[in-house]
Amino acid sequence: MHNVLMVIRREYLDRVRKKSFWIGTLVFPVIMVVLVLGPMALTRLSSGPKRVAVVDATGRLFGPMQDELTRRGRESAPKDEKKSAPAGGLVLESVPLQGSVDATYTAIKARVNKDDLYAVIIIGDDLNSETNFRYYGRNVGDPQTQQRLESALQRAVILLRMERAEVKADPETLRKAMAGIDFETFQVSASGTESKKGFLEAYFGTFLFVFLLYMTLLLYGIAVMRGILEEKSNRIMEVLLGSLSPQELMTGKILGVGLVGLTQVGIYVATALVLPMLVPGASGAMASAFDALSPMRLLWFLIFFILGYFMYTALFAAVGSVCNSEQEAQNLQSPVIMCLVIPMVATFFFVSQPDSTVARVVSLIPLFTPMVMVMRINTLTPPLWEILLSIGLTLGFIYLLFRGVAKIFRIGILMYGKRPTVPEILRWARS
Amino acid sequence: MASAISVRKVHKTFGDHRAVDDLSFEVPEGVVFGLLGPNGAGKSTTIRMVMDIIRPDSGEILVLGDKPSSKVKGQIGFLPEERGLYRKMKILEMLEFQGSIKGARPAAARKEGAGWLDRLGLGEWKDRKVEELSKGMQQKVQIAAAMLGRPRLLILDEPFAGMDPVNQNFFKDLLMELNRTGVSIVFSTHQMETAEKICHSIVLIHRGKVVLDGELAAVKSRFGKNAVALEVEGDVSFLRAHPGVVQVDDYGRTLELQLAPGTDPQAILRALVDRTPVRRFEVVSPTLNAIFLDQVGDAAEVKVMREEASHA
Repeated sequence: MHNVLMVIRREYLDRVRKKSFWIGTLVFPVIMVVLVLGPMALTRLSSGPKRVAVVDATGRLFGPMQDELTRRGRESAPKDEKKSAPAGGLVLESVPLQGSVDATYTAIKARVNKDDLYAVIIIGDDLNSETNFRYYGRNVGDPQTQQRLESALQRAVILLRMERAEVKADPETLRKAMAGIDFETFQVSASGTESKKGFLEAYFGTFLFVFLLYMTLLLYGIAVMRGILEEKSNRIMEVLLGSLSPQELMTGKILGVGLVGLTQVGIYVATALVLPMLVPGASGAMASAFDALSPMRLLWFLIFFILGYFMYTALFAAVGSVCNSEQEAQNLQSPVIMCLVIPMVATFFFVSQPDSTVARVVSLIPLFTPMVMVMRINTLTPPLWEILLSIGLTLGFIYLLFRGVAKIFRIGILMYGKRPTVPEILRWARS
Repeated sequence: MASAISVRKVHKTFGDHRAVDDLSFEVPEGVVFGLLGPNGAGKSTTIRMVMDIIRPDSGEILVLGDKPSSKVKGQIGFLPEERGLYRKMKILEMLEFQGSIKGARPAAARKEGAGWLDRLGLGEWKDRKVEELSKGMQQKVQIAAAMLGRPRLLILDEPFAGMDPVNQNFFKDLLMELNRTGVSIVFSTHQMETAEKICHSIVLIHRGKVVLDGELAAVKSRFGKNAVALEVEGDVSFLRAHPGVVQVDDYGRTLELQLAPGTDPQAILRALVDRTPVRRFEVVSPTLNAIFLDQVGDAAEVKVMREEASHA
């Protein structure tokens, strides 16, 4: 026990003191921050109020359009932005008609090119003409703004048409009659409870988890493998085995690297928790990104992470122990990596059909269990007995795997020269 | 006397290759013991089995009176043939780790390691990384690592291989000093000259089997009395035909004669004096090297051994 602790200690200190650890550890939160805050920051930067000039030949549309924009801006803006951007960051400017609409446009065209105006909207008098409404802008690749203006204008136009058609109704009734519809999406789980969630949300939430699982399992599996290869190529194995049993060495290594992993994940989680406090407004985005973070899901995730960790580091340890160099390990590690890649690539399938027979069967194959079960639990929580069965099978598999790998390790770490063939390795594991 | 190591009827096969074949020998406590044999004789395999790094197919090994275990390993200083260091680690940290896996607390191991570095003249290098050291310095660090934890038994596989004469001598003195304090020392080598100088007892193995073993003096006397070293001025080729002479080893300046059992060296001296001036005539016990070659050698192996000896 003392010896295992000492190996854990060395592995942990050795890795945590390296610059590469900190670089690797900081890169992920930075990416996360950029992904979450970046779009918000960009929106803010570009939305110093955009001035849009409106040339309204009817003289009746500008007011309702502005009202509409303001009303919607108030509804959709986050709390802290309501005052600063009453119309959702858009400022309309009414341009008096000078002769024809085209002549008026020509007169202010220059302002569009001089940054003063974001866009110019031209409204002719004939509401039924196809070319009556025109949008001139420097940037026509901003569908969001364009769409907001369009729909605000549309409301105003419909109201005006009705008025011209002498449909008598008060504006409030008309507005209500015109309200559009949106589907509200519910997810029905096996137990019959319903939760409000869209497919894309489910997909991205789950993918985040699966990707985290994939990255960490791969990263730490390879770290264990490299460590063993390094000890072999430095010819230090035998020195260590003079004091340690191979099992102590293997266990200490796997646990030590695992502890480094937990440190790293801890830093990630801390970032996720602290970030919303530092940046007001990020909480909303974070909350939706981490919608999947219910305590129960987190617990399952943790369990499957640990199972996956032991399973894959043991496999990578076996690969490392029978190879002499990383080049040699390339071939042998690829089947192990494939076992991680396949479920990740198939995330879309599993999320869209979480209780298909294929998903249920695959989630019971120990090598795929951690990732596929996390997908299933996140989308359509399977019956408890299936989860427990998969955990049981995986634990059984890990037990057999550790016994086999310990034997491979014992023989492999002292072998130099030609790499043994796969049948040879399997024979060692059984012996 | 109690045994530091008992090897009893041990077998070990790798595939078709019998690395160790019914091997039995005892290492008495408190001695310097040589495990001798040509390359591929099974020396390293035997040492690895004693250290419980590999397990024998059959037979029994007791170390310090016990079956090999972590506790026993904690009392052994081990220097394997393949000995490396973590290249990126600072040397004192390396020693701290190696001491700690022998059961010490890290702080205590660190202190002991620092003491050894001072003693080996590496005190100023303790915070340097292993890869910055010269090869000779790295060897010293490896030696220090093997000495951590006040071992009762040192097991050294080819300890002098690759060392320059200065380090060899330094290390030999250190071993003798430790031995005087009661530490048993077992080392393997194919350099007979070294073994002859420092061993009390030896076991010579060849193709996984014991060829001869016992105290060095006894071994020598068993083979002794019948060898003569001489320096003469004239031609002595007639000796090859002499019935009492089994073998003549011509080393240029000196000759070594192996006499047939029962031959009186004085008779040879008389025969020589009649023919040529004799500058030196010495009845010697045979060198370990000669015994080694005699016991182990067909011609091809002898050649291999000579080449290795000259490289070492």
